[in-house]
Amino acid sequence: MEIAYYPGCTLHASSQIYDIQTKLVLGEMGINLNELEDWNCCGATSASKTDDFLSVAMPARNLGIADNSGLSELVIPCSACYSRMLVAQHRLASNHRLKDEINAELTKKVKGNIRIMSILEVLVPKAESGELAEKTTKQLKGLEPACYYGCLQTRFPYDVPVPDDVENPQGMEIVLKALGANPIDWSYKTDCCGASATVNDIDTALLLMSKIFKDAVARGANCFVTTCPMCQLNLDAYQEQMKQKYDIDQDMPVYFITELIGVAMDKSPEELQIDRHFVDTIGLLKELNLI
Amino acid sequence: MALPVLDYEHENTQAFIHEVMSRSEQNITACYQCRRCAAGCPVGEETGYVTPDRLIRMILLGDREQALSNKLVWKCVSCYTCGTRCPNEIQTAKIIETLKHMSKEEHLDPLLPKVAAFHKSFCTAANHLGRLNEIEFMGLYEIKNAFHDLIHFKFREIFKETMLQAKLGLRMTKKKRMHFGIQKVKHLSDLKRLLKKAKKRAADGV
Ligand code: SF4
Ligand code: SF4
Repeated sequence: MEIAYYPGCTLHASSQIYDIQTKLVLGEMGINLNELEDWNCCGATSASKTDDFLSVAMPARNLGIADNSGLSELVIPCSACYSRMLVAQHRLASNHRLKDEINAELTKKVKGNIRIMSILEVLVPKAESGELAEKTTKQLKGLEPACYYGCLQTRFPYDVPVPDDVENPQGMEIVLKALGANPIDWSYKTDCCGASATVNDIDTALLLMSKIFKDAVARGANCFVTTCPMCQLNLDAYQEQMKQKYDIDQDMPVYFITELIGVAMDKSPEELQIDRHFVDTIGLLKELNLI
Repeated sequence: MALPVLDYEHENTQAFIHEVMSRSEQNITACYQCRRCAAGCPVGEETGYVTPDRLIRMILLGDREQALSNKLVWKCVSCYTCGTRCPNEIQTAKIIETLKHMSKEEHLDPLLPKVAAFHKSFCTAANHLGRLNEIEFMGLYEIKNAFHDLIHFKFREIFKETMLQAKLGLRMTKKKRMHFGIQKVKHLSDLKRLLKKAKKRAADGV
């Protein structure tokens, strides 16, 4: 099966491990990822805060490439890119003037026929059909993850179809349960980690992260799992600073969902590059005899 | 906290409400002040008395000055919780984006200059080569910050900020999370044309 693939800038830079793992894990399931040719930055949240037209125009170029790729589905693992592309597609479909104005400048025109999917929309049906479990050799026994969705997986500034429950999504739980893990029930799964505030307003970001962290710890989670590279980097790279400020002493590894699937598929930590995290991710997996 | 009495001016208020509503595409007159938005806003502890519902009230009362420059406008993390829960489907985050644009057009000093510098630098860097290079982006951002601090004589801030980001950079390098190569789009012409169009639209006030 062939699906178009938009990695986005982060997966080619600071979250390169997510790109590597996504290709590896989906490849193992017989899904061939076809990277969009010459894709560009989606503009992320910054474009919408700076220039509304650009926040549609930047993703539109990618949508045009995808619409003309001959494929019918496009997977976008990064939550921010996923959200921006989905919103742009929706706005172009409902505003013909805007669409014409943007299409006039594009070599590959937007048609609006590609189906945009988050990584969970690819994984959940495979987990539900039992296909995912068939491809794995290990049960993730003892892993009690707090599945963390953040903002961009279920909340959108426009009325786009959301494939999961907005306030209590279950996609990651379904996938992890299929792998034998025991995801905890908790209240902060869709709360905001602060996003870019870690760089431009650190006190706000640390406050938001402390609430997420405290709830996960209180509910007995032993790690976080996420699909968003921004959430992953924030909870990981700023964890030490946040713990010091809020007097917390438990460490929590922050995994991408793809690395846990990789572990269940018996891929080695080297292959998955699990060591490229700030908070130790290897110790817990060893302790649970998963690697 | 005692708030100054507001002089209500009908005409200016109508014009202001109309501008915010059409630019943000949000029907703020539908707001019945139930405060569901405020209850879920994660930055509520940081914004003083300004919550999404009160921001809407400010606009409806024509308090332009307060609406364009308050902590919520600059602290909002665009989490879309307010809009997702609003029974009247009002996306306050979009109103906030509009207010940010308006305050920029009026050359008001951003309350949190770093937030403004961040988003501007991101867009400049992303559109330079078509893909975002984190080093270029952070470099631009730090230069903007340093320049702002410099003209306000905040030398200690420059030192603190530089040390902080340098430390993060080092830690990222250690964990092999820092990317030193340059990523770029091969055929930049479409993007350049779109960028030009965006500039023209902004200049024409579209
Ligand atoms: S939730 Fe909606 S209707 Fe209620 S106060 Fe907020 S904006 Fe107004
Ligand atoms: S989008 Fe902004 S105003 Fe709305 S709940 Fe989130 S932080 Fe608060």
